[in-house]
Amino acid sequence: MEAVAAGEKNMLRVVEASRAPAKVIIEGLGKRFKTRKRWVVAIEEVTMTIREGEFLCIVGPSGCGKTTLLRILAGLETATSGKLEVAHRDSAKPLNSMVFQEQSIFPWMTVRNNIAYGLKMRRVDSRIRDEVVERYLKLVGLSKFADAYPHQLSGGMKQRVSVARAFANDPEILCMDEPFAALDEQNKILLQEELLKIWESNRKTVVFITHSIDEALVLGDRIMLMTAHPGRVKAVFNVDLPRPRNIATLRTNPGFHKQFSEIWSSLREEVNKAKADEGICT
Amino acid sequence: MNNESEMLPSVQVADNPEKKSWTEMEDSVRQRFLSFISPVIFLVIWEVLSRTNVLDMRFFPPPSAILVTMYHMIISGELWADLSVSLYRILGGFVLGTIPGLIIGLSMGLFKPVRLLLEPLVAATYPIPKLALMPLFMLILGLGDMQKIVTIATGTFFLVLINTVAGVINLDKIYLDVARNFGASRKDYYLTVALPGALPLIFTGLNLGMGMALLLIVAAEMNGANQGIGYLIWESYDIFDLNKMFVAFIMISLLGYIFNVILNEIERWIVPWKQ
Repeated sequence: MEAVAAGEKNMLRVVEASRAPAKVIIEGLGKRFKTRKRWVVAIEEVTMTIREGEFLCIVGPSGCGKTTLLRILAGLETATSGKLEVAHRDSAKPLNSMVFQEQSIFPWMTVRNNIAYGLKMRRVDSRIRDEVVERYLKLVGLSKFADAYPHQLSGGMKQRVSVARAFANDPEILCMDEPFAALDEQNKILLQEELLKIWESNRKTVVFITHSIDEALVLGDRIMLMTAHPGRVKAVFNVDLPRPRNIATLRTNPGFHKQFSEIWSSLREEVNKAKADEGICT
Repeated sequence: MNNESEMLPSVQVADNPEKKSWTEMEDSVRQRFLSFISPVIFLVIWEVLSRTNVLDMRFFPPPSAILVTMYHMIISGELWADLSVSLYRILGGFVLGTIPGLIIGLSMGLFKPVRLLLEPLVAATYPIPKLALMPLFMLILGLGDMQKIVTIATGTFFLVLINTVAGVINLDKIYLDVARNFGASRKDYYLTVALPGALPLIFTGLNLGMGMALLLIVAAEMNGANQGIGYLIWESYDIFDLNKMFVAFIMISLLGYIFNVILNEIERWIVPWKQ
């Protein structure tokens, strides 16, 4: 039932259907928008099923419409064709929360109030809210900075707040748009570890966009590779690495390198294609 | 975890309070001394020039004589009477102009249709000098307080409005995405994004609006007033009592200073996240 771009000769592994129920069903999803001069197709015929509790990474060359797909999932944009179904099982919970790539925590709120934002918008009882916020402050190691303002924090700490804000909102799906792309290598690893720790404790459905195969292998259960502009599903890879994952030892795992080169050889073509028509999509 | 090392120094200072070094202390004393000494020297020179008739005493009475006049005006209650009437008109006009300026400004900033609807209207009416409108207000509202309050309100209204719109528009779009993604209601858009985000520019608008209010009060009290700081200036002109006129100048300068201090204090209090 896993629909993968058919006839794709580079597809290395057709993913078998899992026992977990489907959380998100995407069918033939497309998005076109008009610039001043012409119509641009951002994504086209995207078909994919995301399972309950799955950590799905989406990898693709820049400008392939990864972010557009995620923004449609997050309800920030609407598709122009196709179907998107999300199983909203618990109506008390919000459908999704997004962690943005750029600086997105409110500069005018303390760390505590930033993390509490989603719960406040949902008018969650303040006692429960405080408890949840305390827990996530501790989980991301920011208890001491609960009352600090974002301008007093480093980039890594700001992104921790952003992650905590999304998790604290307790959504059915977490949408993460290259959340660690702007961080330096050391902070990136720290945050990946923290994200894995949090995720392993609550097993939310995560859709995580990245341009790094490394990151996708470290975090994901499956990796969806997208084609260069316009974005289509090129292939879906199962990540066979055992959990819980330890980032340090993962890199010495021979399976890691094998999968890396598999995915890279497929991605490379798309990157070259993207380079060839650079300027058309930005 | 290397959280601590990531902190910027501004917060570490709070954790680890340290006394200022001696050279810094001397610097701050020196700076305060410099900014204190310049007005004093200015007043002394003025006093000397006036007393020695280098300056025409009729137009530039010596500061000491102005102070004596001020003292008498305080004792007689005359000064307070004028001041309180003007304060009422200034603050009344300020509030009357600020509140709609804020509400309309936030709406224009947040919602594009509102902005498209109102922008031409604002652009067309803003350049009209508020003083030019005063005769109209006098015809409609008579010569009482209301006419003066409305004149001041129109002046502050536009400055607050324009700065508020700019404050919201210049906000990074991502904050609106966040609000939407986290299910903010219309009220939440105003109270958690637009208003706090625009506050720094709103305060710029308030400060400019306050300056405008002081300018307009003098003009507004030129006609149809028998009390107020502006009236005091025109009355001193009529009876050629320059001492009183200078007292009025001092009062206006003082008002401007005090309003500025108050606004800055409020800003520091409600915009603590501004570096």
